[in-house]
Amino acid sequence: MDPKEVLDELKTILVSRLKFEPRRAADMTLETTLPKGVEGSIGLDSLDFIELSIAIEERFGILMDESQDLTKHFLSFDTLAHFITARTEAR
Amino acid sequence: MARVAVTGVGVVTGAVTGGREQIRAFLASSGAPALSVPSSALGGLIDETEARRLSRICQLSVAAARIALADAGLGPGAGLGLVIGAEFGDLRSTIAFVDGYLHRGPGGLSALLFPNTVMNTMAAATAIAVTARELSLTLNAPTVAGELAIARAAAAVRAGRADAVLAGGVDEFDSALAELLAEGGAPSERRGEGAGFVLLESLDSAEARGARVLGEIAGVAWRALRARPYGVGRGAASRAVAAALDEAGATSGEVGRVWVSASGDGPRDRWEQAILEEALRPARPPQTALASRAGRHAGLGALAVAAAALDEVSRGPAVVHAIARGGTHVALVVRRAPVE
Amino acid sequence: MRRIAVSGLGVVSPFGTGVKAYWNGLSAGACAIRPVTLIETEGFRCRIAAEVPDGFGGSLRRSRADRLALAAAREALEDAGLSRVERAEAALAVGAVGGGMLEAEAWYWERFRGRRPPSRPTPRSMLPFSHAEALGNALGLEGPRETLVMACSSGAASLALAADLIADGVVATALAGGVDALTRICFMGFNALKLLCPEPCRPFDRDRRGMSIGEGAAFVVLEELGRARARGARIYATLAGHGMTTDAYHVTSPHPEGEGMVRAMAAALESGRIAPAAVGYVNAHGTATPQNDRIEARAIHEVFGPGRLLVSSTKSMIGHTMAAAGALEAVATILALVHEVVPPTANLETPDPDVAFDCVPRVAREAAVEYAISNSFGFGGQNVTLLFGRA
Repeated sequence: MDPKEVLDELKTILVSRLKFEPRRAADMTLETTLPKGVEGSIGLDSLDFIELSIAIEERFGILMDESQDLTKHFLSFDTLAHFITARTEAR
Repeated sequence: MARVAVTGVGVVTGAVTGGREQIRAFLASSGAPALSVPSSALGGLIDETEARRLSRICQLSVAAARIALADAGLGPGAGLGLVIGAEFGDLRSTIAFVDGYLHRGPGGLSALLFPNTVMNTMAAATAIAVTARELSLTLNAPTVAGELAIARAAAAVRAGRADAVLAGGVDEFDSALAELLAEGGAPSERRGEGAGFVLLESLDSAEARGARVLGEIAGVAWRALRARPYGVGRGAASRAVAAALDEAGATSGEVGRVWVSASGDGPRDRWEQAILEEALRPARPPQTALASRAGRHAGLGALAVAAAALDEVSRGPAVVHAIARGGTHVALVVRRAPVE
Repeated sequence: MRRIAVSGLGVVSPFGTGVKAYWNGLSAGACAIRPVTLIETEGFRCRIAAEVPDGFGGSLRRSRADRLALAAAREALEDAGLSRVERAEAALAVGAVGGGMLEAEAWYWERFRGRRPPSRPTPRSMLPFSHAEALGNALGLEGPRETLVMACSSGAASLALAADLIADGVVATALAGGVDALTRICFMGFNALKLLCPEPCRPFDRDRRGMSIGEGAAFVVLEELGRARARGARIYATLAGHGMTTDAYHVTSPHPEGEGMVRAMAAALESGRIAPAAVGYVNAHGTATPQNDRIEARAIHEVFGPGRLLVSSTKSMIGHTMAAAGALEAVATILALVHEVVPPTANLETPDPDVAFDCVPRVAREAAVEYAISNSFGFGGQNVTLLFGRA
């Protein structure tokens, strides 16, 4: 799966599980940043990230190890897509 | 002991949404009953992130709290407390949370929904939305949780434990809940939904800041009457009405109107009549049951207190009276402004 | 200002039925966290919890939570020796979250699987207020009745609010406490939030990985001090003050600097007019999540300064008992004052260098303490601190 395809899957998750408006999700790109407080981000907080990681585990069949600091992978759709791609290929 | 002023009100119900002006217009009209809150009622009161993250019942609560604060002429404030009554809480999110698991297993569980399964979720959302950083309390009670919450909050202001408190309640009602209640053998009655808050503060501080005082909660009491869980009791001797009148320095003969909790649940409504007859005898002040127009729900307590304060027809103090199956019993004595 | 005495105790805990079993477990530093038997845990990362062993009685037509509550409330009332008339006047404050959800879930699960459900739950048996209704009716309590839902601080809040009713002169006595039975929703939810540890939790340990869930009930009889003395009641401790605050920060995360926790502890000291130096023991909220313990330790440090204090977590032994936690931990704090023994933090092997306190690892400590506080913090940023004084 390339990052673009992963992005589309993530957008679906954002609409179905994080309740973003579909038109809002449509505007998101790989460059879009995620965490609340970061300039131009979609404003996700800690609870959003847990929801997102459960959804990623379910959709991509990978395990997110919460004992490790995953912050750097959750910076933008780009970092997250690369993280997911690397994990799915490693299986 | 401080005197307790009502300085703001906000309601979001099927029958009326708004502050004192809208409630005054509602009381002067005689519209048809309206039990569900239309989605348009929340327009402009909820921001984009809240709309995404907050469940509907939390949105109802936040919207009513914002209206009440604006009505009171107060900004969101650090000195604010919150007392919320609810009967069912966020049952809709609870069912959605469980269904996620049953349909999809552990991966179907939603971290976002889980906090909503605890009934203080409305208080949590509302405290954040209006920056209420003092006590925030959620009281769970059958049918009269809103009246109970206001009595509780009034006692806290009276004792000087709280400066300003948003007090009221919120509940949601839909066909799924109606079905659950019917399956569980609950009596049929006129149920509604919505949220309502009054802003209570000490009369001294209200006057000091030049607040527009709606009225005064001059006495409150809440007790349990003997009854089986969800049953109606046989006894009609009420210590609550007498205690509330006593605290207000009022007599039963002076009471100008009783805002009753009647909602079409025959046995309970008859019990309420017996309690009032015994408590106020020989007086028989006129009664109004707001549930006939807005349905019974935890937001109704604030509407009743505001209605009692805005009532320009009756003379003398009003009693807001509420009795639930199981025996939870609340009486509030409300005086209209101008408060002497 | 009327002073408040604690004149009756009742407990049903994962150590068994009764205050004695509870104290035996606590003072031994035992851990009651074991594989879950009450509900299915297949597919969950964490599959352990602290369940209450059989023996607490009650009709099986009642919910498990109602039966836990009834057993604990009866013990407290009998312990206090209140007359029938005194009971009829007494207030009842119950901290609750799950209600009769365990039974409602069983029904819903069966219905989902297309089987004929066992018995139909009703709102009166499912909602949190069901316990207060059951207790009030069964025990003849006709004073003010309140069910407080404040997430994990519910049990502590019930004691604080009942104390207010006595202080205001509304009632002379009150039965206050908290209850929760294990539920699927709670177990699944904390699993989903990834807050549960697969092994028994280890509060304040450097290697802590999350909490363990528990269940139980605890009730205390509160009474105006002069009146308790006049009738010759056994006085365990005084409830010398309390503080209740809200973070208004985030729905599940505490304020990163523990600002609301600090205000709750400070308010408890202020309401009791007690100097921080008079407090010798903190029964911590101590959930063993990486976040809570660090922030709580920081907040305790801000209020009390470094060192000196003993700090321990009851949750290391009986798990996080949710709405019961604040009440069970209040009783643990009271018993520590009575016995002059501070219960330990079980499973604590490697102290976290970020926690600047003696967290009483594994073995109880003899210590005669004048004042002790019990902290409870819940979702929604709800902070409650109770301050107890030696009788």
